[in-house]
Amino acid sequence: MSLTRFLPTPSDRMGILWSLLAMDGCVVLEYGPAGTTHFSMGLFQELGESQQNRLFTTHMSEDDVVMGDVTRLEKAILEVDRNFAPKVIFVVASSVAAVIGTDIKGVCSYMQESVQARLIAFEQGGFRGDYSIGLVETYKLLVQELPIEDPKPQPDTVNLLGFSMGSYRASSDYRELETLLEQGFGLKIGACLSGETSVEAIEQMGGAALNLVLREEGIAAAKILHSKFKTPMVAGSPYGYQGTLDWLHNIGEKLGRTLNSELEAELKERIRDTAQYAISLRMLREDTASATLVGEYRAILGIGKFLEQLGFHIENQLCMHTLRAIPNPDPNVQFCTSEKQRLDILKGIHKQMILADDPSISVCSPDNICLRISMPVVYGAQIAKHLPLMGIRGADFLLEWVERYIQTLK
Amino acid sequence: MMDGNQILSSLEKLRNINSSKDIPQLTHAMFPGTHCPLMGAAMAVRGIQNAVLLVIGTDECAYYTKHMTLHSDDFGGMGGRCVSAVLDTRDITFGCKEKLDSAVSELMEEYNPPAVFLVTTCVVEIIGDDMDSLAEGYSKQYSIPFLSVHTEHFKCENHLPGLERTISACLNMMKPSPSEGTVNILGQRMGKFEETELAQMLRENGIKIGMQLPCGCTVDEIVKAPSARVNIVLNNIALPLAKKMKETFNIPYVLFEKFTDPENILKAYQHLFEILEKPFPEILMQKYQQAQESVLKTQNQLQGVPYIYGNTPFDCMEFNAFLVKLGMVPQIIQTASVDMDNQYLNYILDSADPYVAKTANIAPLQYVYDVLHPHLYLGHEYAPRLRKKGMAVVRSDSASSMLGFEITDFITKELVRAAHEAHQYQKEEGLA
Repeated sequence: MSLTRFLPTPSDRMGILWSLLAMDGCVVLEYGPAGTTHFSMGLFQELGESQQNRLFTTHMSEDDVVMGDVTRLEKAILEVDRNFAPKVIFVVASSVAAVIGTDIKGVCSYMQESVQARLIAFEQGGFRGDYSIGLVETYKLLVQELPIEDPKPQPDTVNLLGFSMGSYRASSDYRELETLLEQGFGLKIGACLSGETSVEAIEQMGGAALNLVLREEGIAAAKILHSKFKTPMVAGSPYGYQGTLDWLHNIGEKLGRTLNSELEAELKERIRDTAQYAISLRMLREDTASATLVGEYRAILGIGKFLEQLGFHIENQLCMHTLRAIPNPDPNVQFCTSEKQRLDILKGIHKQMILADDPSISVCSPDNICLRISMPVVYGAQIAKHLPLMGIRGADFLLEWVERYIQTLK
Repeated sequence: MMDGNQILSSLEKLRNINSSKDIPQLTHAMFPGTHCPLMGAAMAVRGIQNAVLLVIGTDECAYYTKHMTLHSDDFGGMGGRCVSAVLDTRDITFGCKEKLDSAVSELMEEYNPPAVFLVTTCVVEIIGDDMDSLAEGYSKQYSIPFLSVHTEHFKCENHLPGLERTISACLNMMKPSPSEGTVNILGQRMGKFEETELAQMLRENGIKIGMQLPCGCTVDEIVKAPSARVNIVLNNIALPLAKKMKETFNIPYVLFEKFTDPENILKAYQHLFEILEKPFPEILMQKYQQAQESVLKTQNQLQGVPYIYGNTPFDCMEFNAFLVKLGMVPQIIQTASVDMDNQYLNYILDSADPYVAKTANIAPLQYVYDVLHPHLYLGHEYAPRLRKKGMAVVRSDSASSMLGFEITDFITKELVRAAHEAHQYQKEEGLA
């Protein structure tokens, strides 16, 4: 089963690129044929990322490929440094550069003395796995290379790790987290790997009080930061009312702070109000409230748990990326090794609530209730920055769709 | 901040260019860069009804190509006929045949296509898998045409070779057919041929259209394409196919590009009707006269207007020669290649010597504008940004569905409009 009918899972290189583009103060320089860079513009625009004066390509000629000539890369590095004076230039290999074995790290090493910017090489060319692997590599390399040794202590600041602009509703989730942290503890977000952040913020991230690891891909980076700065971490994402309360309690416990009582009361009230769902769903005469979730590991686990708390039976949890970067993955989460396997599962589903991406939803039977919770977005666009999947507002939004689904059950 | 003077000092003047390799890039770090031939191949297959595009390459190449087709009705949208065989490290190391066999088998079962284009990408060409042989094998196995199209970008400048190779590959589908006296339309990249003046002239003179490749045809029409009397070549991308069809099936061809100068349009029409052995229509002489009047009327208004040429649907050198004829002043011509024997190039050099630079690198141009102060930009640029520099954009995309004297009328009006707009912007910015 080797045919891909829809969009393939983005590669490690794509995950690296959308993570790096989310950072102010840097330039991303791709060493490879220009067409890949031009072709990628549509995707990055869709993810809400600016490429203006931030993304460049060197292009590559046949001579460069055959002879291994890196002169144009050297010239491009000098030029970007002179023209834009970024703090960091990330030199990213293309698939062509990776296959012919261009020593990008070597080039960055000997070019470093000729430029003001810090040169950081990414040699993955799209062959080390999917974007989930790319995210791990990016977070790790960023925390290894950029944080300064003696940052200013920031007791009211937390870092986010495992954030990805490639996630559906990423910008909205960021704002929801910002609100929860501010309201709950008076905390601010420092560096965010990787979204809506800057090189300066990452340089100072060792001074933060806590690292919040939103998805498993960020754990390795959090461990590096712990060994360097002794920064504690809290892993997990706030999906659902109970999940959000637990997440906030974990943060409070780690920091020795008390959760804002109004926020705690609001969450507890929501949890009490939703307790009726489990009772009502048990009383259904003919149907069972069932759900299938398709998407990123942490999101389908978190949202799945919320639905279980509401009384749902979770039929399938299909992860869109490999589980290689997930330590001890939940046995209920399945990664389909081929697109066909996933499509066959989806085509056989009836009368369920399906939370998935647009291509997956497109093959599902119309007797299901479908809600988009994952990239890619094919129909319409992500515009709002106030419609999260995480936190209180995220749970409110999901609950509205749960209501809609329940109305179809007998 | 970039230094516009420094950028210009690294460019070459047109007079000093001896081959396409001499054309410098504005900068070594480019954005957005040119389109790749994979995209060109996808554009070509889009117009061949029901044919399947099978991209063979990295997940990134497959992703972007599919992404491009998601909202294309021609491709059938999300579940449409753009599919891929995504290669991993194992395929790169040991070859992609095994994966391709499996993908092709699934494709045949689900899509039942009349033809399949096996489009390779950079990585496949580096590892050297013999896609031509594989295509031949699949053609025999499944009894439909499988055509291999090579689209490695490191061997070419932009997306046009992808279009060229895809339509050239179609020769393998063609079979000798009894003449039906039709004309084939080769190389229409965008727009609808039926809406052009040329199409109207053909219709009015009783000449039937045969195959239109790649702007809209069926596989069956490609197979029967040798039944045509003449091939009309609308763009250089179709020239290799036209030459091969001449060799193989003895079908003559006429070059009828998207010319802008009425003299060139007249010559193309005359050649076409001569080869069709039809009398030259009187109405075309009237259209020629009208076009000449448009030129005369425009020359006064465009005299001395400086411009930068980016990218248009027209032939780069023919159009720039026409602009020079109108009295305009080329400051930079952006182009991927230059044919040194080109008659238009010599015409430009008789009265101007602009800088030459490679295309698709608009970021550094912002700094060049401050040095050269052009009035017009011909191509795709951000109009609000140019307005602040006292510049206007000449919009020519709607000429995609034009051929013949209608182009002269359209482009002269658009040039005058943009020149007036630029004058207005210069007043706004205190530059006039």
